[in-house]
Amino acid sequence: MSQFEIEFTFDGKTISAISGQSVGAALLAANQRSLRKTRFNKNKRGIFCGIGVCFDCLVVVDGVTNQRACIIEARSGMQVKTQDGSNA
Amino acid sequence: MHNVVIVGGGPAGLSAALAAAAAGAPVLLIDSNSRLGGQYWRNASDNFDNQNEQHFDLETGLLLINAVKARIEIEVWSEAQIWSATNNEGKFTLRIIHQGKEKIVNTANLILCTGAYDRTLPFPGWDIPGVMTPGGVQSLLKGHGVLAGKRVVVAGTGPFLLPVAAGVIKAGGEVVSLLEANKSRRWLTSFNVILENLTKIKEAFYYIKTISEGKVRAHFGYAVITAHAGGNGELTSVDVAKIDRNFKVKKIKNIKCDVAAIGWGFTADTSLAGSLGCRQVVAKDESVTVWVDNDQQTNIPGIFAAGEITGIGGSDLSMAEGVIAGIAAAKFVGCKVEVLKAHRKRRAKRQRFANALIKAYPVKSGWQSWLNDQTTICRCEEVSLGDLKFSVEELGATDSRTAKLFTRCGMGLCQGRICGRSVVDLVANELSVLPTDTDRISAVNRPIITPIPLGVLAQGE
Amino acid sequence: MKNPDAIVIGAGVVGACTALALSNAGLKVLVIDRGPIASGTTGAGEGNILVSDKEPSAELTLAIRSRNAWFELDTDIGGGFELEAKGGVVVSRSEKGVSDLKKLASLQKVNGVETIELDASALQEAEPFIARDINYGVLYPGDAQCQPMLAAAQIIRAVKKRGGSFIQGENVIKINSTSGSIVGLTTDKNTYSTPIVVNATGTWAGEVAKLANSYLPILPRRGFILVTSPAPKLVNHKVYDADYVANVASGEADLQSSAVVEGTSSGTILIGASRERVGFKNDLNIAILRQLARQVISLFPVLSNVQLLRAYRGFRPYAPDHLPVIGEDENVSGLWHAAGHEGAGIGLAPATGELITAQITGAIPFMDPAPFSPKRFKGGEYVAV
Repeated sequence: MSQFEIEFTFDGKTISAISGQSVGAALLAANQRSLRKTRFNKNKRGIFCGIGVCFDCLVVVDGVTNQRACIIEARSGMQVKTQDGSNA
Repeated sequence: MHNVVIVGGGPAGLSAALAAAAAGAPVLLIDSNSRLGGQYWRNASDNFDNQNEQHFDLETGLLLINAVKARIEIEVWSEAQIWSATNNEGKFTLRIIHQGKEKIVNTANLILCTGAYDRTLPFPGWDIPGVMTPGGVQSLLKGHGVLAGKRVVVAGTGPFLLPVAAGVIKAGGEVVSLLEANKSRRWLTSFNVILENLTKIKEAFYYIKTISEGKVRAHFGYAVITAHAGGNGELTSVDVAKIDRNFKVKKIKNIKCDVAAIGWGFTADTSLAGSLGCRQVVAKDESVTVWVDNDQQTNIPGIFAAGEITGIGGSDLSMAEGVIAGIAAAKFVGCKVEVLKAHRKRRAKRQRFANALIKAYPVKSGWQSWLNDQTTICRCEEVSLGDLKFSVEELGATDSRTAKLFTRCGMGLCQGRICGRSVVDLVANELSVLPTDTDRISAVNRPIITPIPLGVLAQGE
Repeated sequence: MKNPDAIVIGAGVVGACTALALSNAGLKVLVIDRGPIASGTTGAGEGNILVSDKEPSAELTLAIRSRNAWFELDTDIGGGFELEAKGGVVVSRSEKGVSDLKKLASLQKVNGVETIELDASALQEAEPFIARDINYGVLYPGDAQCQPMLAAAQIIRAVKKRGGSFIQGENVIKINSTSGSIVGLTTDKNTYSTPIVVNATGTWAGEVAKLANSYLPILPRRGFILVTSPAPKLVNHKVYDADYVANVASGEADLQSSAVVEGTSSGTILIGASRERVGFKNDLNIAILRQLARQVISLFPVLSNVQLLRAYRGFRPYAPDHLPVIGEDENVSGLWHAAGHEGAGIGLAPATGELITAQITGAIPFMDPAPFSPKRFKGGEYVAV
């Protein structure tokens, strides 16, 4: 791994990212498009606006819900999970 | 001498900061992103190569950003989010979440440069993962070095589609289709404006060259009207319609893709200005903007505004406005400086260009005919068009605010930023009336500007 | 509808319930509001339907009947306003608070309110996330919740289906009477004839009484509600600390606040409650938002990480003795007032409708309405009835 590569997990799977990338960008690069299920209809959602305005790309990061994947910078050892409705 | 406080680190805010500092006023620049540049110069950290490829004029941006960083008279707070702003008879209080804690800034002088974000229209399937905005696709490329997908459809209206399509191609992706809803010839009706702005033409040709080299043809008078998901619930194809000049559907065909980048111009974020009591007006493109005078001052003495919130007009206009706002604000706090005629002329030239663009890329109401009752309108709260219609027809809502109270439209995490504008149009259409300015303006006002954890709120003063 | 049997001014929850009760009694009712449905206090309401916060009194009797009436109404009109028999838990940390709570609960029990005492472990089971240093609470299974704007709208919808009408956007400028009896009213657009006018304008009831040359001392008491982003289910019931009950009855001019919190069916958490006498001032009082946040975190520490998304304010209408006004005007016969419910408007609305309809039609009311009569304000002075 180069000095710029880091690793985090998404639902237990190891994902590599370049230091400075957002969690959402790294997941997309790893072909992971769905990030959460909506709370009423359980529909899949992913990145929509990409700039932190729409709050669609919500994931659970280290146990904390409602984190915008497109804005949160990926860090080594982060544990990211699909957000189910409002729940971790 | 008091500080000039500037909110927003994009083209307008950076220009204002430099102009004010050059005039002798100490500046505090508050920006919510981790790196300066706003949306327009959204740049990646130094870990990424090939950044120049993604920007037409990154040099200008880097110049301004580095100049701001170099000036000791400019203090920068990055990753600082304003959650509340109040106006107490000329004393403006900003409550900011910075590094997990709350900070309070009191000032008598403010320049608001809070920018804009992609305007989106709801349509069946727009909430499927894989449907994004052009800004989102571009941000992933410019800011994170990631191509959103391999087969990309770029659609909507406006010149912004060009750099996004060019960016995808330069990054090795395929632009399956580039669809502009309006006809190309609208552009040509303003010859003198084009001549005035030759660098913009150069810029356009730069993108067009990239696009034709990528063997992509632009289609005019077409739009994406439906998105389809595969078995895994993610985007597999879109329905593309030939549309008439009112955006009503004439013919439909299906195109396979894994990303659809769809945008319809921009929506300004005026919530901070509205919170402080600044007068807002509805512009020709029906967006809500902040009214300013010839010196970029709002109706509230001491509050200036520049950039997209005073009218969508692109980065060049934003920079010209930022310079004037910075000088005028510095003068307001006592610096001996004047806005020069040259500043105003440059702004006027760019304003003419921006006006021509707005005329060339309207969004016509026929988009509402693409929807059905199951179409999601409020993404956050999963409110459908049918729910909205029920609130009007059965529950008696006669404006978008009441419809919002009955359906929860706009009450989710994005605080109505994505759906608000569309809800105003849809409710008015249900009532067979034209949307009022009051309705449009009330849809953008948010006393809580951005969500704040209760724990942080509790600890503040 | 130019000659309705009755006109109700005000399309908030009290006006809507009154119109429904009158319609069900066979009258043709016209509801008039100068603005949209629920655009007054109802639109800022939390949706509380409580029996827990009242001492044995006429108001408790009204509240018990009204709570049951809500569930009957829900069945009658086919629901659609998120009515939920959620239950309330009142807690206290202090010795005095606990003993006062025990006394109140036993009095309430004797008067028809179901109460269940909760010791520390029962409280933890009822509310797993409540602060661990709270050792005593009382569960009120009777407390319920609804969405007040939807309630008003669904009720007006039912009124229209039963032969009534609703007019939005007309401002009443005069209430007309001849020889001390109502003959109708005039708005900025029309004149209507009717022998019965019900003033259900809440915080503006005093102004409307003036339009009939009469008097009603109703003043506004501002309150804020915080709304969080959608959260996991962290709060199972309505939960309040015992101060809430004392707060309602107090008359102090300063800001009063105490912790009231509950989840909603949409996943957001509602946090109150504050009371200020600042007239109709519209600003956002940040100090109050902070105080409400502190208080709720003291009850539920886990809420520290939940985000505030919206805050809204409303003006509760209150009379000097903190009792609602439900009865005929002292001076003008045929003019009825159904207003001044302070923070209990939503809970008390259906029973108010029943009580006033019985008085209007001459039927036997379910309770003696005398304590709520506007005649207690004789000539501008409060006189105990």
